Amino acid sequence: MTSEVLVLATSAVLLAIGATGALIRRNPIAMLMSVELMLNAANLLLVLGARVRGNVDGQAAALIVLVLAAAEAVIGLGVALALFRDRDRVDVDEPAEVHG
Amino acid sequence: MSALLLWAWLFTLPGLLLTALGVGRRPGAASQGGPPVMLIVALAALATGAHAEYEIANWLPFLPDGAFHLRVDPLSAVMLAVIGAVSTCVYVYSLGYMDPHVEDPDSPERGPNVRRFFCFLDFFLASMALLVLAGNIAVLLIGWTGVGISSFLLISFWNEKPGTLAAGMQALAANAIGDAALLVALVIVPAGCGDLLTLGTAQCVAGPGGATLLAWLILIAAAAKSAQGPLYFWLPTAMAGPTPVSALIHAATMVAAGVYLLTRTHGLLAAAPGVAMATAIIGVLTALGGGILSLQQSNFKRGLAYSTVSQLGYMFAGVGFGAPFAAMFHLVTHASFKALLFLTAGVVIHALHGREKLSDMGGLRKDLPGAYAAFLVGSLALIGLPLFSGSFSKDAILEAAQVHDVLFPLLFGGLFVGVFFTGWYTGRLFFGVFHGPRKYLGPLHEPSGVMLWPLVPLAVGAVVLGYLEWPVPILSTVLGETVGHAEAVRPNVNTLIAGALGLAGFAFSAWRTGPQPAALPTPAEAHGVEHETEHYDEPLEPGAAWATWLADLSYGIANPIARFQSGHLSRYILVSVLGIAAILLLTLTAQPMTGPR
Repeated sequence: MTSEVLVLATSAVLLAIGATGALIRRNPIAMLMSVELMLNAANLLLVLGARVRGNVDGQAAALIVLVLAAAEAVIGLGVALALFRDRDRVDVDEPAEVHG
Repeated sequence: MSALLLWAWLFTLPGLLLTALGVGRRPGAASQGGPPVMLIVALAALATGAHAEYEIANWLPFLPDGAFHLRVDPLSAVMLAVIGAVSTCVYVYSLGYMDPHVEDPDSPERGPNVRRFFCFLDFFLASMALLVLAGNIAVLLIGWTGVGISSFLLISFWNEKPGTLAAGMQALAANAIGDAALLVALVIVPAGCGDLLTLGTAQCVAGPGGATLLAWLILIAAAAKSAQGPLYFWLPTAMAGPTPVSALIHAATMVAAGVYLLTRTHGLLAAAPGVAMATAIIGVLTALGGGILSLQQSNFKRGLAYSTVSQLGYMFAGVGFGAPFAAMFHLVTHASFKALLFLTAGVVIHALHGREKLSDMGGLRKDLPGAYAAFLVGSLALIGLPLFSGSFSKDAILEAAQVHDVLFPLLFGGLFVGVFFTGWYTGRLFFGVFHGPRKYLGPLHEPSGVMLWPLVPLAVGAVVLGYLEWPVPILSTVLGETVGHAEAVRPNVNTLIAGALGLAGFAFSAWRTGPQPAALPTPAEAHGVEHETEHYDEPLEPGAAWATWLADLSYGIANPIARFQSGHLSRYILVSVLGIAAILLLTLTAQPMTGPR
């Protein structure tokens, strides 16, 4: 088993865990963590690609994803905080009544 | 000055920003500068010839004509002068009408957010100026939609009052019909043919449907904006908004935009005589129907609103008869006297602590002498008493109807009958409000000077604006090159007949309302204790059954689709994940991955 396949497998497993978490968790914090997991799975793949191809494009893209993830976490946590303030129990399906 | 006038749509934006930022001790004071500047620059541009163009070619490359094209010509300069003049008066008046410092706990018309009100007004003026200055359909559509949105925002300004939001939505829906028509017109014209002045030329009507389809689309857009024909229903409901808004937007300027558009594109109507005839018929029918419906109203402002519908019908008839100049002339004089009537109505409503029902009014001539005089002047101009402005402009339209030969007797006669109804409904409002016994016996809310002074220039305009055409034809000389073969209007026998008919209607209403013993008010009413909280409890216009049907249809289509938006986050994610998986699977199975190593 080459190291590339190992990284690929890790990335796939991370993505699956993240997707499962995002689907089944109801707590917004946990969902955000799952999303981060998925993003990092993608990051791993990007870095692997950069390594295989021998240039730094993939690494640059991975850096952009990191920044994006930070921005997304800020907004997500802001929404989660607003939810926490508004109600006692935090469940992302509970504020479904705000749909249009 | 003409080059400066090109940017008139930016004149009110500094005021908007300053007011929004809280500048000015009195809310709205910072906005006062915009309208006078617009008026002065427009007049200066008219004095110096009024010709300027500005174009960013290929601004929206995906359209047949996507240039950002602005144009100043005499027509737009006159229109901007009218808008500037009326809005100057309305802005000053609003300072008094909306003043939060005279907050009256009785009045439902008090609102904390006067700054927001002035910001909306500024936005309206910016959109309206852009509409007027537009050189092609693309720019026109921006202004057209902008005024529709500001109309909605201002009708629903007192949004905690029941019915105002629904009234705003109704206006928005009616306007959307016009916007859609304009949007279709924007897309179907042949390449490079968006210019409003050349819409009627042979190369531009070569598209699918030709001149007839294009003219119908423009007519639908204009009718929706000007509340004509079956699309009349939103304008009376729009009276739920503050009275200065009714005066500026729903009487003098925005609703005249349809007439302005038809005047601007009169070359197209000339190329499609069938549509021109339809315009004339719609105009005459609306003029008659508006007059008759005004007689049924129990609400002061709604009575005036139907009068606006009716007068706009006269203007449409003028354009349809191939006399766009007559329509523009009537637009100018009508803006003056109808704004005057509405602002005076606002003084009366203000004095009665927000009561708008005609049944609450009566006998106010001694207590509100200023309003009485102003309303009398406005009424006389509206019914077309000779030597008042309305008589000159209405006469111009009647004249145009006379030279028209097809269907001549019917339409011409219809307009004359309309004049009688004009006198009748005007008199009904005038005598009902100011004569007869007092119905509301509580203390009146005295109008302040800031509300009365703006009536003066409008009253002067209601008297003298007719003399723009007689004895020296000034307006037709100015507009002649843009609206084509404008003929000078001379008072003649029609003037006298129309004036006599109007006066007859006026006198008829005086005889009908006559001195009657009024039911004595109950003590509670007499002291103004029991005030009505629901002034907008009247249902929306019932005449719009087909609109209801249309709304049901679109709801029926939209509702099943809307169900997909459940609000459950996990379901959304599941659909996304499945979707991505499906796309991946398809891509992978469809073609094996190729490319550089």
